[in-house]
Amino acid sequence: MTGSDSDDRNTVVVYETTVTRVGEQVPAFVDAGILILFAAESPEELHPISVLHSAQTSIAGPVVGDIVQIGDVDIPVLAAGSVVHDNLLNLGHVDFKADGRTEPKLPGDVCVPKGSLQTPQAGQVIRVIHRP
Amino acid sequence: MPEYKSVTIAKGRGGWGGPLTITPTDGKPYIYSVTGGGIHPVAQRIADLTGGTPFDGFKSSKPFDQIAVAVIDCGGTARVGVYPMKKVLTVDVHATSPAGPLAQFITEELFVSGVKPDDVQQT
Repeated sequence: MTGSDSDDRNTVVVYETTVTRVGEQVPAFVDAGILILFAAESPEELHPISVLHSAQTSIAGPVVGDIVQIGDVDIPVLAAGSVVHDNLLNLGHVDFKADGRTEPKLPGDVCVPKGSLQTPQAGQVIRVIHRP
Repeated sequence: MPEYKSVTIAKGRGGWGGPLTITPTDGKPYIYSVTGGGIHPVAQRIADLTGGTPFDGFKSSKPFDQIAVAVIDCGGTARVGVYPMKKVLTVDVHATSPAGPLAQFITEELFVSGVKPDDVQQT
């Protein structure tokens, strides 16, 4: 048994999007362990705190065990709240929380390991890779 | 000229903040629904009882000084802070308490959460 967990044949890209703009306050939020995404066409007042993006593939939101890829960084999903799927597909919205929790504190949270978030850059691709 | 009425919105089960009194005016007629899926039932009820104009914030936008109240369905930490930070009265249909880097802006005078349509009553 090789124990390899990078068998691409078993994975599905359920969400793929390109970052169009990074709001001015995003680095401050990342320092606080929070990364907020919203679709590029969302209301202007949400732009300063958000990573805006335009999705090419929009099938499902992240669930436990999925990998979120931001550029070439892989981030494991530890937990996902009850509204994550709907928010991502309807509004392009997701809240990543680098709190290391395996139970989301809030229904919009996608929990990832502490310290695992970085500020994305315009032009980077963000993917959610589902590993059944 | 439409005649506007007031509503009082108390926090719902598990909610936080408020109560808020919402009274649209000619200069501030909009009931701004910043939720997925169009005009949220809570925003519609506020509009029905006050005579205000419901507006889908994800379809287009209005200046903040024309918004009587923003209705959000924030389950996290983003929208709960943005509208109170702009000094817009904010109603969250999820039972959210202040959180995140914008929590300092969220006060009981500006924000109420856990709101269902029944929590919106004519003043």
